[in-house]
Amino acid sequence: MRKASQVTAPARAADPALESLFDVHEATLPNGLQVRLLANHQAPVVSLYTFFQVGSRNERPGITGISHLFEHMMFNGAKKYGPKMFDKTLESNGGRSNAYTSNDMTVYYDDFAADSLETVLDLESDRMRSLRISQDTLTSEREVVKEERRVRVDNDIAGIMDEELGTLVYKAHAYRWPVIGWMADIENITREDCQEYFRTYYAPNNAVLYIVGDIDPKKTLALVRKYYGDIPRGPAPAKVLNAEPEQKGERRALVRHPAQSPALMIGFRGPSAREDDTFTLDVAQYVLTKGEGSRLVRSLVYEQKLAVSIMLDWSWRIDPGTILFYLELKPDSDPKKVEAALYAELEKMAREGITDRELQKAQNNLRSDHMRELATNNGRAHALGHYEALLGDWRRLLTLPAAYTSITNDMVKAVAAKYFAPERRSVVTLLPAPSEA
Amino acid sequence: MASRKSPSLKTSTKSSSARAAKAPARTVKRSSRKAPASGRTASPRKAQAASTSSALKMPTLHESTTSSGLKVIAAERGPLPLVSMRLVLRAGSATDPAGKHGLADFTARLLRRGTRRLTAQQIDETVEFVGASLGVGVGEDTMSIALTTPAEHFAQMLGVLGQLVREPSFPPSEVDDARERALAQFSNDLDDPSVIADRAMVRALWGDHPYGHDVGGSKRTVSTFTRDDVVRFHQERMGPKVAMLVVVGAVKPERVAAAAEEAFVGWTGGPDAPPTVPPVKKIPGAGRVLLVDKPDQTQSQVRIGGPGFRMGHEDYFPATAMNIALGGGFTSRLMNEIRVNRGLTYGVSSWFDAMNAGGVFALSTFTKTASTREIIDVALGEIGSVREKGLKPRELTDAQAYLAGLYPLRTETNESIAGSIADTRVHGLGDDWVEKFRDRLRAVTSKQVSAVAKKYCLPESPAIVVLGRAEEVKKHLKGLGPITVVPASEYE
Repeated sequence: MRKASQVTAPARAADPALESLFDVHEATLPNGLQVRLLANHQAPVVSLYTFFQVGSRNERPGITGISHLFEHMMFNGAKKYGPKMFDKTLESNGGRSNAYTSNDMTVYYDDFAADSLETVLDLESDRMRSLRISQDTLTSEREVVKEERRVRVDNDIAGIMDEELGTLVYKAHAYRWPVIGWMADIENITREDCQEYFRTYYAPNNAVLYIVGDIDPKKTLALVRKYYGDIPRGPAPAKVLNAEPEQKGERRALVRHPAQSPALMIGFRGPSAREDDTFTLDVAQYVLTKGEGSRLVRSLVYEQKLAVSIMLDWSWRIDPGTILFYLELKPDSDPKKVEAALYAELEKMAREGITDRELQKAQNNLRSDHMRELATNNGRAHALGHYEALLGDWRRLLTLPAAYTSITNDMVKAVAAKYFAPERRSVVTLLPAPSEA
Repeated sequence: MASRKSPSLKTSTKSSSARAAKAPARTVKRSSRKAPASGRTASPRKAQAASTSSALKMPTLHESTTSSGLKVIAAERGPLPLVSMRLVLRAGSATDPAGKHGLADFTARLLRRGTRRLTAQQIDETVEFVGASLGVGVGEDTMSIALTTPAEHFAQMLGVLGQLVREPSFPPSEVDDARERALAQFSNDLDDPSVIADRAMVRALWGDHPYGHDVGGSKRTVSTFTRDDVVRFHQERMGPKVAMLVVVGAVKPERVAAAAEEAFVGWTGGPDAPPTVPPVKKIPGAGRVLLVDKPDQTQSQVRIGGPGFRMGHEDYFPATAMNIALGGGFTSRLMNEIRVNRGLTYGVSSWFDAMNAGGVFALSTFTKTASTREIIDVALGEIGSVREKGLKPRELTDAQAYLAGLYPLRTETNESIAGSIADTRVHGLGDDWVEKFRDRLRAVTSKQVSAVAKKYCLPESPAIVVLGRAEEVKKHLKGLGPITVVPASEYE
């Protein structure tokens, strides 16, 4: 095991308050599994995260949603711990577990009492080594996922609109379909599809393990070697091709659905996470919608009274992502008028930039939100994985505040002009339709 | 299961008259646990309890009282340079005047829309510029104003908090705007099946009791709110004698005491003693089925409930342990039978909701329209089986180990510690509540579990709420009790 060396990659200073918290120990096992360990003795609990580099981005039409369905299958039994035994063993040892699937990755975590560390490593390595996918559990879990799709998408207005927007923004890339997949595909994924997925993406060389909490890093690494060391390396997964063509003008879609009020979801094509513009867009996002005093909330909610709520989500992604606006309107709102008001604000930012005080405020908030994210073992372990998966190095979380501090008003102005251009825009308008009753 | 905040930087703001922002789910989790009906501030009900051999390190509490009579509790805690403060007042939705349901919540949201010295914009700017965040939350028993700030701005932020409760100005235009936004939000809530089902359940379980309305009120009540209502509520219900300030984080206790004195000097008003909420007589919707019609749904939301107990009741620990096995984690009987064995749902859970004057036992789940009856029957069957036969010894020890192992997670952040301190004080649970929690939980016996199961696992016919496609569902609900069909708009 080597101690993490001082960061040299991005020539930016690490935040001292963060550096003292992140005395990370790193190792790579011969089978390619990477391990990051961090001690924190504030409470007798530990969080373990496993990041697999696979998400809906790795799928193809016909099996959309398989990354997520497979994530569910990972809890349904392996060679040593059979069906139901993963949860049973973990919970009866004072632990809990969950997972999520995104466009880019599949992420599993366990929070548990510190003295259950070895049991959890046994459980986690068992399913990475020898998952057993039975036809019966797949049949039952498929129904669970269909219910999940009904609750998140089919009976949820934001879910319906989000699905529509994806197909507008992306023509060729796998970001086109929803992470949960199309209903017909969920119904048609086979056991063989799942087994192939496991062989392709769930090998140790496609995973990183993060363990944070009440641990002794040296002893913990020895345990990780003991439990994971014999899992064979797998083939390197195929690269995902980004064949997305250039967008040549605004795209629009209309959704009619029973609802009380119209709603708007608007996406602008953004950069990929590793481009520097990503951080500048974070600043722009905070100026626009962070807090009651942010530009859009103040203007559209409080002054013009056009919207009930505004959400802006700039989610970093491996390939170019979407800067997403979601506006809940009032029953008598005219969505066209709301759109015009939103674009006027975005154009103003592109034309005039922001004030020094707005810049400072955004930087202050980005830093304190970042700190809050790191308050728990779970948050720290997740952050290590998140920054490593998207930016290539977990150390980027130490230099993040400095990255934000280096941003200037001119940079924000340039980024707003570039990304909020009308030809990068896709708009989904939801209009209330009478219920079929 | 614990749901983690999305890692992406998501900024979303509900105007100060709205409830939780709904974002499209861009990541998909294995399961999200349902929150209990009605937005409540975290209470020890959610305590994922007790644990291993190592003791919990709770920070030392330092108490003081300001000259205005406000009790202050400070706990110093690092390592992050952050401070979390929470002012808790005994002015929850149970104190809403008759015909003015939602007034506590409405008043709380308006506090930041102007004070004698600051406009709404100035408040937003002062707080948000330094990277602090301010939030208000109203539950049945309490109103909370929470502020988290970088440590170096602690005193200034506490000063703002003081102004909000001492001298809010409630500008007429802000009152009007807040009312309009709230009404638009009530309208949009009708499109959220789970919100409406929860609202219907609250009414079915509590009826005319002070706990029997949505914390935010309804379209009917909020549309009558005037500035005078708000001013009166603030004067009569909010004051230092029914409030408590809790400060946890990177700040010295003596600094907290001094800053609190300055921030709250001269604060007057409010009652001398906390309000008393009457005990609960019976569940008005017991033995009945309330079918809320939403014809466009492909899925039914299902709620089932019966009597529970008040916070601080002796049944708390046996009932908490019992419920983990019945409807707690991923291995609970309900989850096992309904989700794992039958694939009927993505989420099912049961819980005890314990408040100051009483409580309920409730279950929440959802399933495709066609399996609505099946999910109700299976759920009632599982609950009935625990009522009749109790738990297997292994189920109890597993539940105790689960809760004990996870309990320390409640001591990880300044916010959760401040919340625990506030809860234990408000409900008179004793300052050793957190330290003793795991021991008390481990002391629960099978016999105690059997007793609480007989008492709370729906020995009488429960109240049942189904939200979905009534035309399709109604014919399948025969035999569960008299069915009343109401349109969703009933709950605006």
